[in-house]
Amino acid sequence: MDYIIQTAISAISFGSFYALGALGIGLLFSVLRLINFAHGDFITIGGFALIIPSSAVVATVSIGGFHPILLIVCIVAIVIALAVMSYFFVFQHAQTSSPATMMIVSFALGYTLQNVIIMIYGGRPKAVNIFPELTGPVQLSDGVSVQLLQLVIIAVTWILLIALVIFLKRTRVGIQMRAAAEDFRMARMLGVNGKYVIALAFILSGGLAGIMSLLFVTQTGVLTFRMGVPIMLFFFIATVIGGMGSLVGAVVGGYSVGIVSVVLSAVLPDELRGFRDACVFILVIVILLARPQGIVLTKAAKERV
Amino acid sequence: MLLSVENITVHYSRLPALRGVSVSVDEGEIVCIVGPNGAGKSTTLLSISGVLNPTEGLITFDGMKINGMSAEAVARAGISQVPEGRHVFTTLNVEENLRIGTSIRKDRGDIEKDFKRVLEIFPVLAERRRQAAGKLSGGEQQMLVIGRALLTSPRLMTIDEPSLGLAPNLVDRVYETLLELRNDRGLTLLIVEQSSERALKAADRIYVLRSGEIQLEGKAADLRDGEKVRQAYFGFVDGAAHEGEVAF
Repeated sequence: MDYIIQTAISAISFGSFYALGALGIGLLFSVLRLINFAHGDFITIGGFALIIPSSAVVATVSIGGFHPILLIVCIVAIVIALAVMSYFFVFQHAQTSSPATMMIVSFALGYTLQNVIIMIYGGRPKAVNIFPELTGPVQLSDGVSVQLLQLVIIAVTWILLIALVIFLKRTRVGIQMRAAAEDFRMARMLGVNGKYVIALAFILSGGLAGIMSLLFVTQTGVLTFRMGVPIMLFFFIATVIGGMGSLVGAVVGGYSVGIVSVVLSAVLPDELRGFRDACVFILVIVILLARPQGIVLTKAAKERV
Repeated sequence: MLLSVENITVHYSRLPALRGVSVSVDEGEIVCIVGPNGAGKSTTLLSISGVLNPTEGLITFDGMKINGMSAEAVARAGISQVPEGRHVFTTLNVEENLRIGTSIRKDRGDIEKDFKRVLEIFPVLAERRRQAAGKLSGGEQQMLVIGRALLTSPRLMTIDEPSLGLAPNLVDRVYETLLELRNDRGLTLLIVEQSSERALKAADRIYVLRSGEIQLEGKAADLRDGEKVRQAYFGFVDGAAHEGEVAF
């Protein structure tokens, strides 16, 4: 029983992390029809921003040594700045192209960012320890102990989700964003500033990526230039099975992928455990064969003018 | 002259969709563009609203050149378009849809006044304020998009086929409302219609557009018998049209 509760918390925590990632991708897809494969690399950059830029083997913290609140603000601001710059310098110029072209542009941006990291920091993994107090265990009851970080991830995710829902439902720009997500051309014909709405989506998506950098680095304690790539793959899958373009779908997809991964690790026999990700992907194929439009149905990607 | 479209040519990829089209609308006028399917009526409106960019020609609004401006800038300049197929935001509720219409405005006090007025003009929207717009009937959606366009506080409203997909009594209701808006609020209207009968009834002036070119223009009062319009519309005179059997 205790083991089940522990696994469940771990699954929800994993799912929360994936949900945040899928949401960052879903936000951009909904207003721009962009599947941003550089999103994972934004998370990587947020991690590397913690340390002094140098190729030395032992990392020296810079921002990583700040007071926690200042640290969070700095990292989130850096990743938001990166995301907004990627819009104005890169994606804006591909905005009228097909979604496939924009996706390829995002791949190019991602590889560029990885190589910039190699140039500045070198290619070797670096150990970084932030928020060490979060990685310890907490005793929930007699037999149940979980990592504090898992509870933090769940809490942070839900705070962000609720904040995002309030933003999208209650504020003027939030409503404009939902309108633009559904029918970009009509929204512009009513005077909604398209550039502003898209820039805002990049800000939100970048903010989520910044927070995820912190959660991810706290968890792993290691920086590598490719660390955003494998998680990005899971975020992408989560958005696809959730239903492209639906934010609710992104969250549902994120939780599905996260929970399935953890449950598979728990129930697979030892000799198959190494193939966990393969099993997850097989499940994804099965889901998409049964429901190609994803779990949550939305209007399919539309022509943009 | 409030709106002047002079000699515009628009290409879809390389095919010309409009060739040297000129249309003008005076303040307070109701002008209708009629023509068969594929004549270029919607293309004309989309060029005015900045969605399409004419390769040649000039569009001015209140003396200001507007071709080449973005759709949102044209909306800010005071032209609101109700495009074909209504385009309500289905996942937003009725009130949110209307609020999008106020995106360009800063005059908070007047927005609330206009908002109330729109709900008075279209009481059905007040009843369904919290309902998702996708759940409304076709007629209600038409009311919603007209109300939404009104909330941008436009000087000129362009409407693409307000009668499309609506029952005849609802079409009457829509046109009554449009006439009231012109008479009571001085709204200028440029309407695209497929039915020339309807256009002749509602408009001050009409243009007949076929194959991307203006075939005929004139005061609706002078064209009431419909014969010239019919010829321009179909491009030939045939027996069936003479008998007046063709409901176009």
